[in-house]
Amino acid sequence: MTREWIHGLVALTVGLFLLGASPNFGFLKGIVDLTGNVLSVPEYPAVVLRNLSRDLYLWSRDKSDLTKQLESLKSENAKLQIINSVLVAEQIRAELNARMDDARVTLREPHSWWNEFRIDRGLDDGVTMGLPVFQDGFLVGRVSSVSSSSSWVELLTSSSLMIPVVVEETRELGVVVGDGEGSVLLTYIPEARGIEKGMKVSTALVSETLPPGIPIGHIGGDASASGSGYVTYKIIPGASTGRLYSVSVLKHSRSILR
Amino acid sequence: MMHVVCWFVQDLLSVLTWGTMQVPEVFLLSLVSRLLTQDRETNLPVIWWAFAGGLFWDLRWVGIPGFFTLNYVCVVMVVIWVWNTLPVSGRTLPVIFFLFWAAQVIPSVSSLLLPGRPVGDSKWTFFLVQQGCVVPLALLGVFFFVRDMKGRNA
Repeated sequence: MTREWIHGLVALTVGLFLLGASPNFGFLKGIVDLTGNVLSVPEYPAVVLRNLSRDLYLWSRDKSDLTKQLESLKSENAKLQIINSVLVAEQIRAELNARMDDARVTLREPHSWWNEFRIDRGLDDGVTMGLPVFQDGFLVGRVSSVSSSSSWVELLTSSSLMIPVVVEETRELGVVVGDGEGSVLLTYIPEARGIEKGMKVSTALVSETLPPGIPIGHIGGDASASGSGYVTYKIIPGASTGRLYSVSVLKHSRSILR
Repeated sequence: MMHVVCWFVQDLLSVLTWGTMQVPEVFLLSLVSRLLTQDRETNLPVIWWAFAGGLFWDLRWVGIPGFFTLNYVCVVMVVIWVWNTLPVSGRTLPVIFFLFWAAQVIPSVSSLLLPGRPVGDSKWTFFLVQQGCVVPLALLGVFFFVRDMKGRNA
């Protein structure tokens, strides 16, 4: 026990002496540097590993931040797109409302009952050929001839009026045409395209004069194959083509017909 | 040789975790383990191993020779004193665990006084993280002690 205490006390004394005298040793800095330099060789792998793990951590943190930022921007972009769409829709609606004019049906001749009728709006009221005519928001026909104070409108049920349309649920394109006897048909639809009863039909973007998205009606009847790979469907128009007393006509504007 | 390896392991751990935590005193753990398991004749070299290890640690990490030298020698002396004072029947596993744990706490607490160390709450964060590593190490020390005792009694 005594030897242990002697050695311990000697070690403590030397340690205390070093601690007290070290600030006065000018060469100590050189020894510290030398120790650091010598140990830097075996410590090198640990330094590399530490730098690697730090870089990895920083990279993953940056990636995580960027991912969060991307998600935030995506969400913000989606919201802005919705706001923009709403604004554009509101603008279009306001423009269309401003251009809508009520017209009274003044003549519907029995021999062309399902083909045309006359309205009390003409060139003087801003009506031009080809403009769409509505009833209760649904397309009922388009202006076929215009005079100064009246116009003739060709009905959807007319066999000579062909309108490019789209089935909204499937985005399938086709042509709506009447049979001249009160029915409206959707033609040129390829077979087995999943068209079902009740699907909505509206005007397509491919028309030169009619704006896209004007509702026409919905699929109402069974398909009848033409034999050439295409199917014809019966359309139930949204407008009451049999009871037309007043309609709305879209007055001419260059902006909507672009 | 084992003490050199332990010192170097502690040094590498310090390099790896520099600025994030205070590393456990692996070197001191090896010294205490030797004090508790070997015969008393080996105590003298352990004192000087503590002195040399502490001095090198000061030169490598602290820059104030004598600081950890004193710490390590003090810890070794305290452990020798407690161990030799205790009767054999009192050398229970909780006491051994306490000795291992105390050997870690003394240098750790004193190192908090060093200039240039983290300030404020992070000082205690450093200390607590180290203590979280020390408990398993102390348990490991107890395990080696028990294994050594079983080997001797076999």
